Amino acid sequence: MKLQRKVYIAGVGETKFGRHEVDFDVLGRAAALEALRASNIDRPTMVQSAYVGNGTNGMVTGQTVLKDLGMCGHLPIINVESACSAGGMAVHMAVRDVALGLADVAIGIGCENHTLHMAQGTAFATAMSDIETVHGAVMTGKYAMRAQRYMYETGATAEDLAMITVKNRRHATNNPYAWFKGEISVEEVVRSRVVASPLTLQQCCGIADGAGAVVVCSERMVKKLGIDKPILVAGSVVRSGPYHNRPRDITGDDITEETAAQLYEESGIGPEDVNIVELHDAFTIAELLYYECLGLCPKGEGLKFLRDGNATHGGKCVVSPRGGMLSYGHPIGASGAAQIAASVKQMRNQCPGYQVDPVPRVAMTHVTGGGLSGTEHAACTMHMLVSDW
Amino acid sequence: MSDQKPNKKPEKKPDITFFHPDLLEAPADGSAPYLKGYRCRKCGQLDFPKLSPCPSCWGEEFDVVPLSRQGKLYSFSDNFIGQAGMKTPYSFGYIDLPENLRIFAQLEGEPGSFRCDDDVELTVGPVRDNRDGVPLVSYKFRKLNSR
Repeated sequence: MKLQRKVYIAGVGETKFGRHEVDFDVLGRAAALEALRASNIDRPTMVQSAYVGNGTNGMVTGQTVLKDLGMCGHLPIINVESACSAGGMAVHMAVRDVALGLADVAIGIGCENHTLHMAQGTAFATAMSDIETVHGAVMTGKYAMRAQRYMYETGATAEDLAMITVKNRRHATNNPYAWFKGEISVEEVVRSRVVASPLTLQQCCGIADGAGAVVVCSERMVKKLGIDKPILVAGSVVRSGPYHNRPRDITGDDITEETAAQLYEESGIGPEDVNIVELHDAFTIAELLYYECLGLCPKGEGLKFLRDGNATHGGKCVVSPRGGMLSYGHPIGASGAAQIAASVKQMRNQCPGYQVDPVPRVAMTHVTGGGLSGTEHAACTMHMLVSDW
Repeated sequence: MSDQKPNKKPEKKPDITFFHPDLLEAPADGSAPYLKGYRCRKCGQLDFPKLSPCPSCWGEEFDVVPLSRQGKLYSFSDNFIGQAGMKTPYSFGYIDLPENLRIFAQLEGEPGSFRCDDDVELTVGPVRDNRDGVPLVSYKFRKLNSR
């Protein structure tokens, strides 16, 4: 959807990610309040629509989050679910409202608590109505099959994949919002226990809790609120995953390739202009494949892109500067919104100890969601953000 | 009607033990099992699993086509952390059939014994326990000539 009028991000918020004793609503509220205050919004009646992304925490999650901020009754609150893409999709819907003139101020929130609700030592699966789920499919194993095939075709090794974890944990070293961070060796990653061959524990995102929130507004409102570092939303794209029951190349990712192509076209910005990317690095193999799918490097050169240092500080494009999901963990409904929050902070030079230098002017975010038989992913949400000051 | 069994709860039906006869035929006479493909009579598209209406033309009439019992293992994973309630490790993979169809299925055999592009064949066996704790029988694949 091409944006009909200019949309700006006024303020963002995120919680620390990890294991929380408080539920999704408390986390969502904390992120929302931080985003609202950062937008110079000082009362509950100024926001005109709210979208709340959540994957697994039940019904009327959005109203549960916003009730105690005094916002219920003043605006429509719409709950958004698309598994791991929910938080990104919630922000997309807020962007849509502003772009279409339905609102001058809207908020997109992603929040999730897994650890209070999920059995330990189990992996994510979709509903039992899905034919693959009945036969034992889990997300870890489905990504592992991509890794298995990639290694078979290219000769890449477990050590190659492990470099992604090492890089992202290093990026997160001084990030107070990240969970797993700091030095880890390739050997430690490879030697951690096997979760789904060939992927080991340290190549999988943690099952975590957290929240992110993003306030978007019109050009008129961004001036009225006195935002001195407005971030232009140059593009916001949601797509659903094509269905196939035929042989296909799973070292590519059709939905990501299509979403990226649409985002580049609608924003007028190409991959070579992007300074930082937060992408769906739920597993090491995913980040490696997405370098190629997003066009950061040519097809087949993902590993070279990584080895040459092009995905880290000083390279062509810093990928996962916050540490990615491999450092934050992945509360499925939260991650998409938190990626945008973290990217905005980078663009505003608000990341002491993990700031990208020079301060990025163009940022891109990418989340996929949902293991549905016959699709690579059920949903994909991407955003293109540009500094506008 | 109103005076009959006013407080009686509906009887709980036993959970299935054989996964979907639309997908798999395991003949009672002991002949080899096969997966059932569905060819749309309107547009000719062949699908597995059965999709009705046909996703290509919304046709609703199909001819059942027995699918090849052998295929190639495109990729696989040995899972040491699985779905809640499933015993680990278990292996699954994508099997490509000559009919240009890809099947997701559990693999019968030891973890660590599979390779991409292995030749595999259809077999039938338990894939999980159903809600009643009884093994649910469905299609699986194993390495060709593995027994």
